Amino acid sequence: MIRAKNIHKWYGSQHVLHDISFEIQEGEIVGFLGHNGAGKTTLMRILTNYSKMSDGALYIDNVLISKNTIHLREKIGYLSENPPLYPHMTVNEFLMFAVHLKNVVRKNQRRQLEKVLDQCQLRDVQNKVIATLSKGYCQRVGIAQAIINDPDILILDEPTVGLDPCQILEVRQLIKSLEKKRTVLLSTHILSEIEQMAQRVIILRSGKIVADAAIEELTSGGENRHKLKLRLRGDPARIETILKEHAGVEIEAFEAGADGVCCVLRQDISLSNGNKLFEQLLREQVEILAVDTVKHSLEDVFLTYNRK
Amino acid sequence: MSKVFIIIKKELATLFRSPLAYVILCITISVFHFFFYLIIDHNQEASLRDVFKVMEFMFVFIVPILTMKTFAGEKLSGTMEFLLTTPTSHLTIVLGKFLGVFTFFSVLVGLTGIYYVLIEIFGNPDLSAVMTGYLGVLLEGGLFIAIGILVSSWTSSQMIAAITTYLLLFILYFSASVTTYFQGAMAEFLRQLCTMTHFDNFSIGLFSLADFVYYASGIVMCLLLTCVSIDKKLWE
Ligand SMILES: Nc1ncnc2c1ncn2[C@@H]1O[C@H](COP(=O)(O)OP(=O)(O)O)[C@@H](O)[C@H]1O
Ligand SMILES: [Mg+2]
Repeated sequence: MIRAKNIHKWYGSQHVLHDISFEIQEGEIVGFLGHNGAGKTTLMRILTNYSKMSDGALYIDNVLISKNTIHLREKIGYLSENPPLYPHMTVNEFLMFAVHLKNVVRKNQRRQLEKVLDQCQLRDVQNKVIATLSKGYCQRVGIAQAIINDPDILILDEPTVGLDPCQILEVRQLIKSLEKKRTVLLSTHILSEIEQMAQRVIILRSGKIVADAAIEELTSGGENRHKLKLRLRGDPARIETILKEHAGVEIEAFEAGADGVCCVLRQDISLSNGNKLFEQLLREQVEILAVDTVKHSLEDVFLTYNRK
Repeated sequence: MSKVFIIIKKELATLFRSPLAYVILCITISVFHFFFYLIIDHNQEASLRDVFKVMEFMFVFIVPILTMKTFAGEKLSGTMEFLLTTPTSHLTIVLGKFLGVFTFFSVLVGLTGIYYVLIEIFGNPDLSAVMTGYLGVLLEGGLFIAIGILVSSWTSSQMIAAITTYLLLFILYFSASVTTYFQGAMAEFLRQLCTMTHFDNFSIGLFSLADFVYYASGIVMCLLLTCVSIDKKLWE
């Protein structure tokens, strides 16, 4: 169990984390979501005892983390934002180095190494020099290193950043396949990623927690979370009134240009209702040039939570 | 304790896998050979006294290159976060790194053992003086390495680490030469600070506890300061 109480972090005069408090139970998979610079890395570094907090308290398994943190570090596996890799070492050498440093007892060292090689599918590259590996493999080596001593808590800082879609899928599956009993904390700035991997989300903005909720809450509502982007041709003033008067439609952006009207709608209506909107537009001689759905963005989530 | 060995092993692997290590070995040994020949030819005596002094001077140049990577390199490759979040104490890491570079350094110094064999064949050297000289060489190297590692823990740039270490070693090496501009306590302080003051005794086969304490306390102090620097994350 991890309990953070009123954690603050200052870098010089910059207040990077404001009053961060949360509690994470054993076995939970929690995503930290926020833009670049929101403070995700800073928070994770504090949770792993790499950095010190300026104020506040952190408990892991009800033990206050203060000075003597060495044995607590055995419980935590950490993949930092830049995966830790010694370029000149082979995968095997690096993982053996990690096994030694993480106090795995001698008779289990080999077994743990074999286990993570299989788990992270690193068999093919185990004797390759790390400098020659692709980014996807590097990330897997980073994850292998983090889980090699079977830590109770796994902390992954942007585990899929910089990977191509295929590699992202692989890494996601890998993270999901890690045993269930583990507590996993991961950070990302991509909303959909959290939806797919975590059960709970903690949203950070400028170093403050703006939301802490189950993932269902974030994804609930189905269609009404989608936005519509329309390109229409017709009299702009008329179009605007039609849209404004239509029930369940909220205009988020409206721009009239030479090649027609471009607008973004937040639609709190079901699809059949949407049809009515299109029908009305057509009746009023408005040409519909293009319809796009816009995926919910982090900004929208912020807006939703700011309104609450 | 066994973790110290693991880190020593890793440091040595890092050093020996970079071409730089071999370049340093070759250049240094060539320079030593050259001066050994010159000195023996000139002095015509079975002593390594002046050879040790050449070594001391060379160390000012090679040690910064050996130590620049120790911590600066870890920060660059993102492995500093890995090292410091494993259940390993700072002291273990610092000691491992120090002893790793020191082992490489000792190999380098060991290669000059041939000089003793040579002067033993052609002359009648004083073994105890040579041993004392080598002890001095190792202590001096140890101090330089400890300083280099301390500096490397301050920055994430290997270049800055190397240059700063050069500067510090230069100051330390030459501080006695500026004593003429100072008087009294200050002059004496500079003289005592200077490595040459202490090393000269060793090189002529004179062992004194004061000189030994100078080096030993210097090494211990630098290593402890390195632990503090890592703890406080001074490079951030
Ligand atoms: N070592 C540091 N020194 C000074 N400021 C820092 C340091 N690390 C992070 N920051 C600042 O803290 C803020 C949060 O950064 P970070 O935790 O890296 O955000 P994220 O991981 O969410 O992108 C940023 O404004 C960044 O400039
Ligand atoms: Mg980050």
